[in-house]
Amino acid sequence: MSKNWLASNTFHYSRFSDLSDLVDAKHKKGLKISLCLPTLNEEKTIAKEIIIMKSELMTRYPLLDEIVVIDSGSMDNTIKIAESFGARVYRSDAVLPEQGTYLGKGENLWKALFVTSGDIIVYLDADIKNIHHRFCYGLLGPLLLYDHIKYTKAFYDRPIAIGKSKIRPTGGGRVTELVIRPLFSLFLPELTQILQPLSGEYAGYREIFETIPFPIGYGIETSMLLDICEKWGLDVIAQIDLERRIHRNQDTKALGRMAFVVVKTFLNRLEKLGMIEMKQELYDRMIQYQLVKNDITPDVMKMTGIERPPMASIPEYRTKFPRSGKNPA
Amino acid sequence: MLPYLQNLSDYVEAIRAIRETIIANIVFLGQIPAPTFHEKRRAVKFMDRLLENYVDECTTDGYQNPVGIIRGKKSDLPPIFIVAHLDTTFPGDMDHNYTITETTIHGPGILDNSVGVGVLASLPAIFRHLNLTFDADIILAGVIQSLGKGNLRGMRHLVKTWPTPVRGAICLEGVELGRLSYYSEGMIRCDITCHILEEKGVEYRFKPNAILVLHELIHQIMGLRLPQKPRSRVIIGKIKGGLKHGIIAYDATLGLEIQSDSVRMVKAIFEDINDMVTGISHEFGVRMKLETISSVAASRLRYNHPLVKAAGQVMQALGIDTVGEPSESELSILLSKKIPAVTLGLTRGEHYHQPTSQMEIEPMFKGIAQVIGVLQAIDSGVCDE
Repeated sequence: MSKNWLASNTFHYSRFSDLSDLVDAKHKKGLKISLCLPTLNEEKTIAKEIIIMKSELMTRYPLLDEIVVIDSGSMDNTIKIAESFGARVYRSDAVLPEQGTYLGKGENLWKALFVTSGDIIVYLDADIKNIHHRFCYGLLGPLLLYDHIKYTKAFYDRPIAIGKSKIRPTGGGRVTELVIRPLFSLFLPELTQILQPLSGEYAGYREIFETIPFPIGYGIETSMLLDICEKWGLDVIAQIDLERRIHRNQDTKALGRMAFVVVKTFLNRLEKLGMIEMKQELYDRMIQYQLVKNDITPDVMKMTGIERPPMASIPEYRTKFPRSGKNPA
Repeated sequence: MLPYLQNLSDYVEAIRAIRETIIANIVFLGQIPAPTFHEKRRAVKFMDRLLENYVDECTTDGYQNPVGIIRGKKSDLPPIFIVAHLDTTFPGDMDHNYTITETTIHGPGILDNSVGVGVLASLPAIFRHLNLTFDADIILAGVIQSLGKGNLRGMRHLVKTWPTPVRGAICLEGVELGRLSYYSEGMIRCDITCHILEEKGVEYRFKPNAILVLHELIHQIMGLRLPQKPRSRVIIGKIKGGLKHGIIAYDATLGLEIQSDSVRMVKAIFEDINDMVTGISHEFGVRMKLETISSVAASRLRYNHPLVKAAGQVMQALGIDTVGEPSESELSILLSKKIPAVTLGLTRGEHYHQPTSQMEIEPMFKGIAQVIGVLQAIDSGVCDE
């Protein structure tokens, strides 16, 4: 286990708060940067994310070149609000329609590769209540200032918003601590240095994202980390302390379903790496139980592990980005 | 047409074009809790935002009011103040994260006074965007300790210690667009506490109840014959007391405000209420205390003062219906120091003092254009009598 990684590749966002430096580095390298916000019914938070990023990182400092929203079919006003504040909005099913469409965050991120034009892409969840532009420039800093860093990932404190007006000071990250960290400790201890492997905020060079597969759902963060580590090693990754992120609380059942996908993704990757041998295929149904009156009834949810292939393998993409598939190393 | 009325409608469009900058400032500042006496974090952020918007100088005065200065072209002219209070009525542990929709922003304190503070911090960027310069220095002051027991201390200190005369001033409040405050009523704000003395041993069966004692006081206050001229009133604004349903209340507090056009009348009513407190305290055998937590003297500009007239013209030119109303906030301190000043509302909104308070985004652009029009009027010399 590389003992130096945690010290050398962990940064606090304030290290990159001189935005002029970042803009200079971006111009010197001749890069374009895209911000992608995947959405599904995010009308309460989407406007604030777009406004703050546009004000601070486009108007005041030209760090971002575009803000793109990829929507999975919101039934609320997400699309209308995002458009009204000047983001480019795409419905996921309208992007690469010949490739079909699936519902899920990973699907949106994968399709974002086709509609964005940046050399670097920043992915932020669209449900961040305390959004601040540090979420974006913190992730961009190491990518712009350190040539060997190709992928950055956030970590933070995670207070949970409970009720209408109170915040519980600790909590969150339960799937990380109860599921992914034990698995990393058992099989890939080096990766335990990544403090929040399931955080939804990350950024990286296009060459990285276009050459790895994208699971369509919750497994995206796990698979992305494992694939990047396998292909390029841990040293191309940096993690950034963004301090505090307030998000919606999820109930235990929802977290159980998330854990199901994460474990399945992890085991499949281990098998691919030759680290384990599975005697049978994994089931694709999460079975949870609920008490209805006096009867315990199963609540079964089918969760197929569909993965999108590396975007660089899609012909339409190669036509649009002729230099795709270049090795970033 | 007067020069300061000429470009107002163009300003509205141009201000709307940088709405993200303005909204970002409102959100960044308003999301930092700032109950009175605990405004430091918001004050620091306010200075950060001024610096990031390239104000010429940024500092704090001796009372820690954050102040930004935009230098004017004529150094011999007295400066013009634009002021917004930083403190809010909401506690620090409340979730202050705002929600933005297509047309509104909502969250605790958005109207009182996050929108005022956010617009104040945005003014340097707005002036630059509109390519505006001024003859006089423009002082952008976020004042602390304004509300309740703060008793306008920040504003009092700023005005008292400012080293030069002041040419004129504009106070920014969230609502209501169209408000034109150019006078302050005399006011005394006080708390009346009632405490029932506890005795050892078996309790006296008919021990007085602090809530009922205050009820008797309210009853007597309602019986006061307040004059129509000078206009006077007593507002019973707050009451709290007691522990649980089945036990008499040992403690209770009443908060009230006496307002009048005349300082003498305010004092006379205060004395009347003080006599009532003394009498009831004696009659019921309880301990009562009347404590003044804030007071301001009545002061005003004439309705035909050039600043009031200019502000009315600016609002008319923008199609804003004007409503004259008193303000007992920062304006009263400025007027008491003979500084010509008005308070302007920036937008429209709902649930003013609720955690769910909500501002409309679109009217704010007119509200800001109105501030710039009045500022240009002062800079052109309407207050230089």
